[in-house]
This record gives sequence, C-alpha cells and structure tokens, in this order.
Amino acid sequence: MTAARQRRPVVLLRPVPGSSVIHRLWAGTKLLVVFVISLTLAFYPGWVPIGLAATLVAIAIGLARIPRGAVPSIPRWLWILVLLGAVTATLGGGEPLLRLWSVDVEVGGLLKFLRFTALSIVLLALGAMVSWTTNVADVAPAVATLGRPLRALRFPVDDWAVTLALALRAFPMLVDEFRLLYAARRLRPRPVLADGRSRRRRWLAEVVDLLAAGVTVALRRADEMGDAITARGGTGQISAAPSRPGRADWVTLGIVVVVCVAAVVVEIRVLG
Amino acid sequence: MTWTRPEALPERPAGRLREPRPQRSLSPVEIAQAAVMGALSAALAIVSVVVPFAGGISLLATVPMGLLGYRYRLRVLIASTFAASTVAFLIAGISGFMVVVNCAYVGGLTGIIKRRGRGTPTVIAVSLIAGTLFGLVIIGLLAVLVRLRTLTFQAMTANVDGVVSVMSAFEPFRQPAEDARHVFGLALDYWPVLLMSYAIFSIMLVSLVGWWALSRVLDRLRGIPDVHKLGTPDETGTVAPLPVRLDQARFRYPGADHDALRPLSLSIDAGEHIAVTGANGSGKTTLMLLLAGRRPTSGSIRRPGAVGLGRAGGTAVVMQHPESQVLGTRVADDVVWGLPPGARPDIATLLEEVGLAGMAERDTGGLSGGELQRLAVAAALARRPALLIADEITSMVDQRGRDALLGVLSGLTDRHRMALVHITHYDSEAGIADRTVSLSESTDNKVMVAQAAPPAPTVNHAPAKSVPVLQLRDVGHEYGCGTPWAKTALRDVSFTVSEGDGVLIHGGNGSGKSTLAWVMAGLTAPTAGACLVRGKPAHEQVGQVAIAFQAARLQLLRSRVDLEVASAAGFSPHETDRVVAALAAVGLDGSLARRRIDQLSGGQMRRVVIAGLLARRPQALILDEPLAGLDADSQQGLLRLLTGLRRDTGLTVVVISHDFAGLQELCPRILHLDRGILTPSAEPSGVSGGPA
Repeated sequence: MTAARQRRPVVLLRPVPGSSVIHRLWAGTKLLVVFVISLTLAFYPGWVPIGLAATLVAIAIGLARIPRGAVPSIPRWLWILVLLGAVTATLGGGEPLLRLWSVDVEVGGLLKFLRFTALSIVLLALGAMVSWTTNVADVAPAVATLGRPLRALRFPVDDWAVTLALALRAFPMLVDEFRLLYAARRLRPRPVLADGRSRRRRWLAEVVDLLAAGVTVALRRADEMGDAITARGGTGQISAAPSRPGRADWVTLGIVVVVCVAAVVVEIRVLG
Repeated sequence: MTWTRPEALPERPAGRLREPRPQRSLSPVEIAQAAVMGALSAALAIVSVVVPFAGGISLLATVPMGLLGYRYRLRVLIASTFAASTVAFLIAGISGFMVVVNCAYVGGLTGIIKRRGRGTPTVIAVSLIAGTLFGLVIIGLLAVLVRLRTLTFQAMTANVDGVVSVMSAFEPFRQPAEDARHVFGLALDYWPVLLMSYAIFSIMLVSLVGWWALSRVLDRLRGIPDVHKLGTPDETGTVAPLPVRLDQARFRYPGADHDALRPLSLSIDAGEHIAVTGANGSGKTTLMLLLAGRRPTSGSIRRPGAVGLGRAGGTAVVMQHPESQVLGTRVADDVVWGLPPGARPDIATLLEEVGLAGMAERDTGGLSGGELQRLAVAAALARRPALLIADEITSMVDQRGRDALLGVLSGLTDRHRMALVHITHYDSEAGIADRTVSLSESTDNKVMVAQAAPPAPTVNHAPAKSVPVLQLRDVGHEYGCGTPWAKTALRDVSFTVSEGDGVLIHGGNGSGKSTLAWVMAGLTAPTAGACLVRGKPAHEQVGQVAIAFQAARLQLLRSRVDLEVASAAGFSPHETDRVVAALAAVGLDGSLARRRIDQLSGGQMRRVVIAGLLARRPQALILDEPLAGLDADSQQGLLRLLTGLRRDTGLTVVVISHDFAGLQELCPRILHLDRGILTPSAEPSGVSGGPA
C-alpha cells in the first residue's frame, strides 16, 4: 500500500553490486583522484575544469555501470529551492546578454548560479563514486599505504589506519543501535505537558537520555572491542591481501593528472 | 546484546578515567575507544548533514569526542578525529568531513577543560580563542582560494540582486530592498570581518552546548559497570604458558567485599581439553582472567614462561559476544587481524577447519552469531596457541550454531598441539571435554535477590479465542526499494493472531523474522500487503502492539528504573504505587524502583522493559529473542513469568526466536519463517532439547 510513495533511501557504505574496472581499482587510487580533482576545482572553479571533471565522473559512472537507482530520491523541497535560486539569479541580471525571440535577457547571474550548482554536484558525485565502488574493507589498508611517507615525520599513521578500520567495522553496528533507540522512543506515549517551559525542559532531558543511552552502548562496545584486541596480542596486520596500486591505477592517476593540468592551463592561459 | 555482568564492579575504578600509558603507541583499549567513539561522532555528524533540518544534531557529535578528551590522551583524540572524519567523508562528502573536524575541535577542547576540573568561565574564554583561531584558518583558506571565493560571492550576489529587483517592482518595498542590497554588498566587501564574527559566535555556541551535554552525560555515566576485563600481561621472556599450575589461587576485585574466585588448585597440561562449569558469579570468567595473565590476590600460578596473550605459541582467548570478537570487515582480514607484519597463516585451511571454507571474501557484517564465533576461533588458531580459552562462546548463539561450534571445539586438541579450556554454563557442553572443573560450590547468588514471585492474577480473564488482534494479509517487505541494493525480506506472509494466543515465529539468521516483528509493531510499514491491529493498519498506531527488543539496554532510555517505567507507560514518576504495581506485575520487587538502570542484571533489564510495556495495556506483546544472553536461571524465570502472564491475564504473546528450547508452553503455536516466506510446518520435536 505504500509502494507507490516509497523513497529510495541513502544506502551507507555498501558498494553497488557487480564488478568493473572502477570497482577493481585500488581504493587509494580513488581517494587520490577525489583529492586531486577536488583540489583543482577548489582553486579553479571555472567552466572548463568543472566540465572536464564532470566528463571524468560520467565516464567512471558508465564504466562502473552505476544504475540510476543508486542515487537516493531527491526531496521535492530541494528541487524547489534550486529552482527558486535559478529564478532569482536570472532576475539578478548581469553580462552577457542573450537574445531570445527578440527579447534581451541578461543571463550573467544565472550562469554564476549554474556554475556554482554544477560545482556542488560534481563534488558530490565524486564522493559518491568512491562509496559506490569501494568495499569498506579496502579503505583502511589503502589509507595505511598512502600515509606511509608521513611515518617518516613520526605521524602515528598505523594507529590511525587501525582506528579507521575499527571505526568502519563499528559504524554499521552503531547505526543499527540508533535505529533501535529511535524505534524505542517512537513506541512511547507522548507526555502531555501544558506550558512551553516544562515542555522545553522535558525535551532537553530527553535529548540527554537518548545521548546517554547511545554513549553507554558505545562504551560497552568499545570495552568489548578492546578486550578482543588484547586477546589478539594488540594491533598488527589489518588486511590479508596486500594493498598497493597496480597498472590500471597508474593509468588512471596519469589520466586524471593530465586532465587536471590541462584544465588549469586552459583556465589560466586561454580564458585568463 | 549488552548487559551488565554480575561479576563486574559496581563502579568504574578511579584509575579507569586516566590510564597512564608511558609508551607512545595507542593501547588496545585506547584504539577501541577511539574507533567506537569516532564512529558514533561520525554517525551523528552524518545524520545532521543528510537528514533535512537535523543540523542541530551536529551539536551532539561533540559529546563522544569530549568524552575521549576527558578520559584519554590527545593522541587518542587525534586518531579518533582522523577515523571519524574519513568515515564521514566517505558517506556524506566534504560537508560531513567539516562537521566532524569541527566537532572534534570543540568537543576535544571541552573534554580537556573538564579533565582539568575547570568550569564554564574557562569554556567561554577558551572557546573565544578557539573561535578566533578557527576564523583565521577559514579566512586564510578563502584568501588562497580566490576564484572559489569570487564564484561563491557572485552566485550569492546574483540571488540577492534578483530578489531585490523583484521587490523593487513594488513601491513600498523598493527602499528596504535597496538598503538590504547595500548592506549585503558591504558585508561581502568586509567578508573577513563577517566570517570572523561568525566563526567566534558559532564556536562559542557549539562549545557551550557541547559543554552542557558533556557534563550531563558524564554525570550519567558514573554508575556504568566496567566490562573491560582483559589486560596485556606485563611480562618478558619466552612464551610458554603451559603447563600451568594454580595453587590455592584466589581473586578479589579491589574494593569488593567478596572473592570473585574462591581458592582454587588446578593444573593444565599440553593437549588437555578441560571444561569449566559453574553458575553465574562462581568465578568462571575470573579464572579465565587468571589463566590469561592476571595475578591472583593470593595463592600462586606457576608456568614455565610468559603467558603470551595473542602471541604465536601463547594463549588465545575467545569471548562471549560474537559481534565484538570479530574485528575485520572481511572474513580473511579478520583471521590475520593483529598478527605481526610478515606472519602469513594459511587462511584457507584455517577457515576450512572451522567450517567456513570458501567464505574468505565475505563481509563479516552478514555472518550469523555462530559463524562469527567460529571465525573468532579461526583467528585464535592462526596464532598456533599452546592454550586456547573459550569463555562461554556459545551463550549468544542459536542451537544450530552451538552444535557447529561444539563440533569445531571437540576435535581441536587432537588436531593441534594445544590445551583447550572451555568455560560454559551448560553442563551438557562439558561432556565433550576430557575432564570437568566445577566452580559451583562457591556460588554467590546475589542476582536472585530482587526477583519476587509474580502476584496472583487480579482479573479473571476468560480468553475469547476467536477475536483477532493481529491480522497480516499478504505482507511483503523490500529494503532499499528501487536501488541496486534492494533486498526482499518478507514475501506474502499471511496469518492471524487471536486474543490470548501464544505464537512463536521461528526462523534462522536472515529469515526476515526481525522485519516481521517490526512490521507487526508498526515500526515498519510493509511495502506490500497490510498488517492490521484490530482492523487498523499497524504503522498508523505505533505503541498499540508492544515490542521488547533483544538489546534490552537500548530500550531503557531513562537513568533510573522508576523514571524508565513511568516514561514507557506514560504516567508520572511520582505515582510510586503505579510504578511498584508495574514492577510487581513482572515479578520485580518495589525496592528496585530507585535503582540505576546500569546496575541491573540482564534478566532484570528485560523485566523492566516488559514492565513498562505492559503498563500501557498493549494489544499484544512481541518479544524478539527474549532469552538470548541470559543465563539458564534467568531464562527459566522469565519463561515462567511470561507463561503465567499469558495464562492469567490473557496477554497475547508473539515470540521471535531462532530457538525452540523451552518455549513450547509459552507458545503452543509455531510459525516457521524461511527466507521471508512462511512455511506451515514446524513440529518442535527433534529440534528442541537444547542445553538449557
């Protein structure tokens, strides 16, 4: 009975099923690509870099065969907000002029707005591609490999990688526990309180109660996890397979670097 | 799934708050705390970013970080921040990352201020400085990213100009609109000033809210028992834990008024398979701690060399909670987890030995409790231990999983050169051992104190068999509808539960039984079909059907028993007589009313949950794995209580379980669920007769 209006939910930390070139890339490569492209766009958010980055993302989406259903439903209010922004930005006017059926429309404002929106979407899509194509188990080992140079500077990279691996392991369990907490709260009757003051106080007390319950559960989880680590004689390896880039990874990195450099050169030299 | 261990200390020892760690690298406890608190913080931050209008939740993400800052070194906080921000980035992108970094910054500061014992004025002063620094960083960043800044400002200006030009068309608004544009332009010209004020304001606000929440939560955490047990033994020399000889070894926790383990003499030689049995509180787990390297309070333990906990040829321990035992996200990763660099065990053979052949690439998140425990055994075997201690590893596993686990354990001492100490509270499991050590004579039954007999029925209820309470018609449910992750959990489930019925919905791991429970309680609206409670859809009347979750602790939201029962039942905590009556209905003594939730035993927690639910007179009571994690005595007590309630008050009971054991009387009717489909069947005979 509710099938018609069911929204596509945000699915956390699970790659899109299947295998592809993109799925098989080393996790570190994907993180590096996101980093490099984000950095380029942060410094040079022009149409050319945005367009080139969008092309790269589109090719990757095609290669990884990401279906449309992977994108969570976009709530209607967001569409309305974007539309409203576009309308006000158009009314803002500004160079250049666009002649539409003998009416001059100043589209400068709209272009600025569109560029900003496109930038946001490309950045979101970049991050989403990592989530959609990377097994969570591969992230922490890749971070450990990537951070190896920092070890020379006495950064505790290995501790960080182990912490990250365990956080990723604990995350789904905590999310499940939150779902339970929320459900437990829904099952309770709403207290009927007349005046605003006692209602506010009640609300604050409830926030503390929920937070305390959540933290208590997390503490226990951490205690048990600590015991399990001790039982294994402390930390050491975190993955069975070696985590390092292969040939496809070097090719990918090469392409991305070339595209980014080209985008920057065009942006500076040609468009100034 | 978590509960208070009766043998745990009533208070966290003072030393717990700041464990002095001379060495630089993080200890196991610190790593675990950093990871779990980081995950908690990341989860809160992600919710605040992804869920519309939930931005306020990010204020609470400071609390886990504050807790770390309060209890541990800065290094722990940094590791946690790294982990949390990476997790948040992977899920919610750059905005999730920013929220986490911000929360770690503010939370860490408040935690450290708390540790130093300072008050609110310090928080205000420090947050002022912190806000200024934060502002400087942001201004510095935007000063470098010239083009991004220009684009953002231009896009904003275009929107403002557009609004102004529309407003200007209406005469009365022209002047205010022009003024607004002027102010906006001025603000953009002086953006560093604006950003700095914003940074200082927001950091101070978040700090103060975080400080308030952290203080409240810390007050709350004071009574939580410490379930952390194992410590890395302080030892050097060659690893040789066997043969070990205990001579009148006795153990008492500091500050406790009785021995956790009465004087015990015992010797364990290589190749032996020993079962240790005893009731709760008889010191089984304490014996495990002594074997794993803790020093006895008196008496002696002699072994030829070091204990070597988790080291090659040393001592390996597998504990109770399946989910917490497994540390890797992928099966193969978990086998090698924590091994020194360069160690390459034969993963395929190890997995085959524990019956997980071919599952090396599977995610550990999808394994059943029994599979997780067998994986933990494989990880222990990867260390080729001389002594393996299995501490109640079957207590949270279903019957089939238990049999498989026992099958793995039974041959271990023949296949490997090692001794096995199997600690269990099921006498039947001890049968496979070479010899049994029973600790029962030192039983200390403090758990049973508060359990009074259930009262006689007050209402003479004659169950009218034919009145339907719950009607399910072709119920189907699919998770992640329309996404590539879509998964059907239920398909065409139809049945009716009548007033006074006792129904057991039986199914294995992943059979969809938990989804079915949520649907019946109205917490999940099914994607197909209808679930009706007295004729109306269940999800439109949440609370009419009560549900007691397996993780009782999560359902106890208040700090004290009376507050909890009153909140769940919907009456004022001042109505003492109603609280006492609600507790009496589940066989709990009224003296328990003022007890803190965290000081209850597992069985008591479950009863308090049921007390709160029943006080609302629900149409039916659903119990999700009500017996899991309870010892045999608490299991029987709870079953007696529920059976009595159903018989005497006509309560409609639906039990969701993967076990038949002992449920026949409570639930005469059994429905079997297999991969989301209801199969008629299920005579419990032949499957029942578990060790309980």
